[in-house]
Amino acid sequence: MRPDLGASRTPTDPAGEPVRAGERVADGPRPAAGPVAAEPPPVVVRRHLARLLRWLGYLGCVTVAVWSLGGTGVGVGPLVEGREGIRRLLAGLFPPDLDAELLRQIGAATVETIQISVAALVGGTALGLPLAVLIAGNVRAPRPLALAARGLATVLRGVPELLWALLFVSAVGLGPAAGVYAIGLHSAGMIAKLCSEQLEAVDPAPVEALRLTGASRTATAVLAVVPQARATVASQLLYQWECNVRSSVVIGYVGAGGLGQELGIALHLFRYQELATLMAAVLLLVLLVDGASVLVRRRLGVTAALPGECERPRYRLSRPRVP
Amino acid sequence: MRDVTVAFGGGAAPALDGVDLEVGTGERVALLGASGAGKSTLLRVLLGAVRPRAGSVRVGGVDPFGSPARLRELRRRTGFVRQRDDLVPGLSARANILMGQSHRWGWQGWTAVLRGRLPSRYAARVRDLARRHGIEELLDRRIELLSGGQRQRVALVRALLGEPELLLADETTAGLDVVRAAAALADLRAVDGATLLVTTHDLTLARGFPRVVALRHGRVVHDGPAPDDAAAGAIYAS
Repeated sequence: MRPDLGASRTPTDPAGEPVRAGERVADGPRPAAGPVAAEPPPVVVRRHLARLLRWLGYLGCVTVAVWSLGGTGVGVGPLVEGREGIRRLLAGLFPPDLDAELLRQIGAATVETIQISVAALVGGTALGLPLAVLIAGNVRAPRPLALAARGLATVLRGVPELLWALLFVSAVGLGPAAGVYAIGLHSAGMIAKLCSEQLEAVDPAPVEALRLTGASRTATAVLAVVPQARATVASQLLYQWECNVRSSVVIGYVGAGGLGQELGIALHLFRYQELATLMAAVLLLVLLVDGASVLVRRRLGVTAALPGECERPRYRLSRPRVP
Repeated sequence: MRDVTVAFGGGAAPALDGVDLEVGTGERVALLGASGAGKSTLLRVLLGAVRPRAGSVRVGGVDPFGSPARLRELRRRTGFVRQRDDLVPGLSARANILMGQSHRWGWQGWTAVLRGRLPSRYAARVRDLARRHGIEELLDRRIELLSGGQRQRVALVRALLGEPELLLADETTAGLDVVRAAAALADLRAVDGATLLVTTHDLTLARGFPRVVALRHGRVVHDGPAPDDAAAGAIYAS
């Protein structure tokens, strides 16, 4: 061992004060106050400059926020002025319509919504996961391929689902198929981005170890990168399914099937009691899907991975096998 | 290795500073030095993982910084065991051991490896090596259920499965208790036929090797039989 253990301690200046990083320790005693000492050392100037920039940053953020709130006319005023309309709408919602025929219709629409979300997840995963592997930096895919994958994912993700839905409704007509294409394409972009981040967050040591055995890039990805990210990627896919359910309600509004389409019809025909029942169905569905997703994620051993969060998978310790 | 210099970052002192080192086939060498002396960097240069700023390197006649194909070929003939835990969690010890030979199989083999299955001609060899290193019973256990010492032996068996011509071990005894460290070193010395390069900061362990090369601040300060205590003091002095 090195005998100079003192080197690892916090460096101190001759007066015994701890020295901050970046400051230099003077060799001799401190110079007396005089014309030289009065001149501020560059490190102090830098610190003041950093503080000024930080406050300018805060000021900029507040300015943008105030500007946005003012520009959109948000405030308590419009709500107070529109209270009569809100009262009419809320009064119209009650009591919700519980007609048997309507409930049957809503049940069918709910099933269609689930089908849209699952079909879109299958399509999105089939397209998004290979893109995620190509994008992940630690996979080291050939550069042109990685760039092309990143570009495609950005385009898929950048176009909102609603826009995709409008495109597909005009291309393949009204109905759930348009919804599946729209959500599938958008979720492929999301899966590519979020899962590539999960792949990049794996422990680099096993990846490098495999590379140093002379393994090919593909073998390294398949054997060392993907297995480490299994749980978090699965969790991400489940989260995407939750998003798909919510999206399918929104894009249904433009005619892409499911509960959203029923919601749109009820709203356009001013059938507020029917709308209330549909809203309750949407809420129930989203809660159920969230609950199911949390349960499965807990089984996977990933309890707290939020989208985009780079969390290391936590493995549950299974009972050791008796040899 | 001739006049090799490696430097990281802008003004930092070089990790290796004009190192000349020649190791013959079948030789057993301990690389001795304090932390930060450049031992690990030297091994990583041999594996083509760190590119030297100056100097030339040949491993078995191959320049690690020549073509990528030749580098992969060189790495396949080299076994590397290191101090840091670098096994893939969530997979069995057997899968981790087999992974080192991924270049011998395609997709089908890889998926078989992930499930812990393997071509029969490797089954016998894995079992044999595992028995010799005392981990036969642990082959089906997941990596995170093994102790540090057991994991180290899994990493050693992974390195040995390909019958390497060169075996590099980086501080594989660090973090182990005295008995386990001696056992790990005995495991390494028991390897037949391979040129062996082992880094350690422990003089006692280095004394088990016929040739000890000591590094200090990236320079070779001793090359020969293990240094005595007085000479060792200079190796560790800052």
